Amino acid sequence: MARVLDTPTPSTPPPPARSLRQTPWVRWGAPLLLVAALAVLPLVGTESFNDTLARIGVFAVAVLGLNVVMGYTGQVSLGQIFFLGLGAYVTAYGVQQGWNVVLVFVLACLLPAVAGLLVALAAARLGGLAIAMVTIALPIVGVPLAKRLSEFTGGSQGLSARFTDAPEGSGLYDDQFQLYLVLGIGGVVFLLTACLVRGKYGRAFAIVKDNENVASSMGISPYRYKVLAFTIASLIGGVSGFLYMVVVQYTSPETMSFGHSIELLVAMVIGGAGSIAGSLLGGVFYVVVPDLTNAVDPSLTSLLQGALLLLVLFLLPGGLVSLPRALARRLRRSPAGRGSAAPPTPPSSTPGSATAAERPQTERQGHA
Amino acid sequence: MEKFVQLVVDGLSTGSVYAALALAIVLVHSATGLINFAQGGLAVLAAYVAWVLTNQGLPVGLAIVAAILVSFVLGAVVERYLIRRFERGDPDTAVVVTIGLLTLVTGVAGWIWGYNNQQFPSLFPLDTVSLLGVSVSIRSLGTTAVIVVAMVLLQVLFVRTKIGLALRAVAINPQSAAFSGLPVGRLLMVGWGLAAALGAVAGTLVAPQLTLTPGMLDNALVYALAAVILGGLTSPVGVVVAAWIIGVLENLAAVYVGFIGFDLKVAVPFILIFVVLLVRPQGLFGRKTVVRV
Amino acid sequence: MNGHVRSRRTLGIAVASALAVTLSACGGATDAGRGGDTAEGAPSPGITDDSVTLGITTPLSGSTAGPGTCTVAGVRAYFGMRNAEGGIEFGDGQTRTVEIEALDDTYDPQQAAANYDQLKNEVFAMTAGLGTPTNRAWRDAAIADEVPQALIMTGDPIFSDTEQSPWQLGFVPIYQNEGEAFGELLAASGQQHRVAILSQNDDYGEGYVEGFKAAVEGADNIEIVDELTYEATDTSVDAQITELANSGADVIFNAMSLVPLVVGALQKAQQLGWTPSWFLPSNTSSPGAVLEPGGGGAFPGIYSVSFAKAPASPAFAEDEDVQTYLSALAEYGDYPEPPAFPHCQWSWMVGATLEQAFTQMEEPTRDSFMEALRGIQGYEAPLMLPGTSVDTTQDGQPAVSSVVVQKYNGRGYDTVESFG
Repeated sequence: MARVLDTPTPSTPPPPARSLRQTPWVRWGAPLLLVAALAVLPLVGTESFNDTLARIGVFAVAVLGLNVVMGYTGQVSLGQIFFLGLGAYVTAYGVQQGWNVVLVFVLACLLPAVAGLLVALAAARLGGLAIAMVTIALPIVGVPLAKRLSEFTGGSQGLSARFTDAPEGSGLYDDQFQLYLVLGIGGVVFLLTACLVRGKYGRAFAIVKDNENVASSMGISPYRYKVLAFTIASLIGGVSGFLYMVVVQYTSPETMSFGHSIELLVAMVIGGAGSIAGSLLGGVFYVVVPDLTNAVDPSLTSLLQGALLLLVLFLLPGGLVSLPRALARRLRRSPAGRGSAAPPTPPSSTPGSATAAERPQTERQGHA
Repeated sequence: MEKFVQLVVDGLSTGSVYAALALAIVLVHSATGLINFAQGGLAVLAAYVAWVLTNQGLPVGLAIVAAILVSFVLGAVVERYLIRRFERGDPDTAVVVTIGLLTLVTGVAGWIWGYNNQQFPSLFPLDTVSLLGVSVSIRSLGTTAVIVVAMVLLQVLFVRTKIGLALRAVAINPQSAAFSGLPVGRLLMVGWGLAAALGAVAGTLVAPQLTLTPGMLDNALVYALAAVILGGLTSPVGVVVAAWIIGVLENLAAVYVGFIGFDLKVAVPFILIFVVLLVRPQGLFGRKTVVRV
Repeated sequence: MNGHVRSRRTLGIAVASALAVTLSACGGATDAGRGGDTAEGAPSPGITDDSVTLGITTPLSGSTAGPGTCTVAGVRAYFGMRNAEGGIEFGDGQTRTVEIEALDDTYDPQQAAANYDQLKNEVFAMTAGLGTPTNRAWRDAAIADEVPQALIMTGDPIFSDTEQSPWQLGFVPIYQNEGEAFGELLAASGQQHRVAILSQNDDYGEGYVEGFKAAVEGADNIEIVDELTYEATDTSVDAQITELANSGADVIFNAMSLVPLVVGALQKAQQLGWTPSWFLPSNTSSPGAVLEPGGGGAFPGIYSVSFAKAPASPAFAEDEDVQTYLSALAEYGDYPEPPAFPHCQWSWMVGATLEQAFTQMEEPTRDSFMEALRGIQGYEAPLMLPGTSVDTTQDGQPAVSSVVVQKYNGRGYDTVESFG
């Protein structure tokens, strides 16, 4: 799937800044530009930059899945890490058995999805905090379960699987190849999810989130849509598990420990609930903050992370994704800022803003 | 049979640890409609305060009282300057704020006192008494007694006192509570302060048993949350009974149900929650509440 | 439509700022630090003519922060002391100071791997980190990158297998060795014993039990009457102790790694009036932090295996090694009180063992370091008990594989030759 990105993409000239977004140039140019930028990115980054980006991709996908069930459909799930862990275990086991990688990938998506479906069929009968408690059980029971099934999971010593070394002759370093895999697979998942939440299903999710009684009266079964959202979230979780193995190449019961599930929830809210871009920012937060606090003072990581989390939410209760809106509001409030409330970002003025036009299909959908 | 009774008694004593924390969570929930993940963290902080004071030569009892007072103030301050900003907003965000607070408080404890295990002096002696052929430590009995007292006090507070009614009114609908002349802000601070004080009782009670570390109550938190949901969010009696049920059933399932064993016994409370909530969505003892829209 | 425009712009800015953050966090040089194909004999990363940097990834927050903090404190204290004395003279004739770069992984394998990625080009070698999964997470990568993963704190045997782990070496005895040492002692007691087992449900507990069972296999005076486990996340093991007490065992083999639970187990057994002989592993048998609060004196015998002096034990209060260690720990390791975890002592010994390797390595390269590291024999590191030593030359064994069985005497431990 990453091959799509490997092929050279015709880059388009920067569109004029004024008619931004209305012209077909931008409609098609911006995504192509983005793809081009993503295709080049792994080649120019340092190894540690690529590693960091790849890990961001892994957890952005996991947060995206959580967003589907929680941000968009309003069902509190504290079990998302379980599906990541399951996907990672399926991948590791499949690779160790020497199965075809494509088959492994399919299984890493399907098995978590089936597990999620089964859980959802039961849990979606409940609502509110009850569903939170049932989903909390997944990582909490998952860890001892993974230890007990040591025949498949390697017990507490875990499973290693190095299957993502760059292919011979590709001329790529391992970290570049891995990042391509993450960008390719993760990109497709983000794209599909964005379509999903913009479309018919997304509207139904939003109505279920808003008011289940209204949904019922409109002929939308809250139960069925909750199950659907949960199953999709689990499937996406499975994909993130596969990507986890692509990047980390090792999994153990600790991968799915309860604390990480909470951290995913934090990442989702910090990024911005019910937002595609927020999922990405959540992934950034999940990965970059521990590295950042380690760089400041490794013996104070917990303190610094807590403080940073509170600071961000204090300034931006809507999450990082609301930063531009908050800035715009502030500018509008001052008379001088009037008119230039949100200056159009000139595309491709810097390499960074070429990617800034990323994923035009992603707007906030059904945010209550 | 003797083993069975002993396992039940052991379960009750473990359940009391969960109950202590669960009571504080219920109090905050009743006062603010919020699940406070940081409750355990604040309780640990209180235990450290008491520990420092005992090291200064204060008797344990006095040190605990002082820690309770400090916690009351701390809880009120946290509500006023941190939580208040998120109370009207998205509930998910508010919960994440309490998670952030937990991380911060744990980090602060680790920063000041380190991660070494500290021995916390027990209020009750470790002696054992024999009841009906099973042995119980005075410490377990004492812990349980304190929790029962706290539970009764809370129940009375909620149901029989003006301030309890006011607290509940604020939680259910802050706006109309304000219209009817209640000092909503101050009540919320009192609610958090009381919860933190109760948490301090919990923390200092279980610290001798769990050994004082910054993450002392992390593992108990999940069980406490389970007890809170199982017992029904509104009932102090309910959560204490639920915590005991969880403690006892876990032990019995581990010993008598072969395939569960000691590794998967943690699944027991959650299966129980699931079954109970299917039948009674408001929990074992909870009242039906109006869904907030 | 307007809403569309705004949200799209919002998104663009958000992504741009996110990328800016990551870019600035990671630095922008191209292709730097990749490959590492250095010429023969040229210095490896992390070493200069006057200093060498070592990396550690270990839990410094979270539930294993207690022992994790110790793994850094000990080695930092050791080299802090040596640096203050002017540094260490390496085998190539240069005198270097030793710097420690430690990162927190919160016992998360993913973070440990990330920490390794961050450190591998800056440090000369990785060392001393705690944990089986957190060390396994980047074992393959360390082999591929040829970065030493030396003297780490896990009893997982894979790290001591030269074939599988050419760039690794464990420090502490593999769990099996400790279990075996006690099993042998018990089998040779000449009395009948009924043994109950309570172990942690992971490779740690399993390793101990495996070693113990191997040692008592075929001994007809030993009967294992009951065997239970607990989870590292449990808050109490009362139920397990109650069930084991009913088995009527006179010996309990208790492979637990968590100090509070061991204390609780000792107390619970006393409350039930069950006082068997008790075996505890080396990392949870501290006289001051475990046996004193647990009331160890009530049992006919508490046995443990060890290779390090316990600083909290009054028996070593006057010991010169212990005093040097405790004062360095306070001065350079930021650890003002005697630790409840033996990992501080072990990591101090790791420092001393690394110094041995440094003085032997002839070139400032990782290859030369590994060669020197694998050539240490019969070295009695500071804090080591008589009868134990560092020996890195045996394949399949970590740096320390000799342990002595000890018995609690009410204040500290005495080494014993026989059970009873």
